[in-house]
Amino acid sequence: MNKLMATFIQDNLEEIISRWQELMKDDSEERFFQIMSQDVIDKTSREFAELMISNLYEGETNYENRLKDFTNKVVRFGWSISFVMKAITHFTTVVYTMLEENGTIREENMKEYVMTFAAWITPMRDGIVETYAKTWERTVQLQKIALQELSASLIPVFDKISVMPLVGTIDTERAKLIMENLLEGVVKHRAEVVLLDITGVPVVDTMVAHHIIQAADAVRLVGAKCMLVGIRPEIAQTIVTLGINLKDFTTTSTLQRGVEQALAWTNRQIVEVEED
Amino acid sequence: MNLRIPILKLKDVLIVSIQWELDDQTALQFQEDLLTKMHETSARGVVIDLTPIDFIDSFIAKVLGDVIAMSGLMGAKVVITGIQPAVAITLIELGIRLEDVMTALDLENGLEKLQQELEA
Repeated sequence: MNKLMATFIQDNLEEIISRWQELMKDDSEERFFQIMSQDVIDKTSREFAELMISNLYEGETNYENRLKDFTNKVVRFGWSISFVMKAITHFTTVVYTMLEENGTIREENMKEYVMTFAAWITPMRDGIVETYAKTWERTVQLQKIALQELSASLIPVFDKISVMPLVGTIDTERAKLIMENLLEGVVKHRAEVVLLDITGVPVVDTMVAHHIIQAADAVRLVGAKCMLVGIRPEIAQTIVTLGINLKDFTTTSTLQRGVEQALAWTNRQIVEVEED
Repeated sequence: MNLRIPILKLKDVLIVSIQWELDDQTALQFQEDLLTKMHETSARGVVIDLTPIDFIDSFIAKVLGDVIAMSGLMGAKVVITGIQPAVAITLIELGIRLEDVMTALDLENGLEKLQQELEA
């Protein structure tokens, strides 16, 4: 029966593809069909159809490998998963309708065909979902590592003064890392004043503020002072609106003023050298 | 075994170096010893160094806080020095902020800070 179907699809490939494309164009929100040239669409559609057919030759051997190949290729097309699912659904609908039209599928053997279709499609869907999930997991993992590399290094700028620039969203995990790096850095560089620069933090909500307050407390415990610099106007607004209490903190708008203040705390100041 | 924590006097400052993890008994003993010593010597400042300590539980933290408050009542200023990063994180996570306590990186800084504070 699989062979029969495969031959049928092969024989009517042109029509199936054109019908399938119609359906996809009608239905799909994907930009693929709108922006790609007809040539590319045709080529990709043919490739997709061939992949679908190749899955029909369900020779027990090799089937797994072929399925893997298929899913990998589909993922590599760069389509979204919902788009691929739709493509498969439409493809089978087209094939089913055409088989019905030419009288291959009749009342009496309908059940059998439905089973065949299910056996054809289900492993494909499963495989695709799995492959997509794996790809996504890998991406997330890589991004996490990248984020960790970006996050939180303490930079000594003057004797007794260090700066930690924070860039990007702060979540609990990152806050922990920040605190550890901060404290280790303070002890290592023997810093007396640490400036936490939040210019690059897009949003300061209660959670982020909580983490920052905790970090500052911990810094105080190891014997240094913590200053919060780089408070942008919108951040100042959110902080006050949310009723976050940063009264125990020294805060300034720019790193520059923060550094001046820090120098003052350590009994130093910046003076201009007179030229002669 | 009942080890007592040595309390050294340097001019008008008492120096305490805590070298091992305190158990509850030792901590209470220490509280008593320190206050007695403070009374005897009429010291004006105390430095407690915690550099070798890498674990503090909530009870010890409470005792430390109490000691500091008591010393304040007796007219002495307390500086805690050398709190390790790990200890600081534990304390913060336990919600112990030691709010009104002076801290310093090490004994040297601590003494300096204390001197400044006493002169002021």
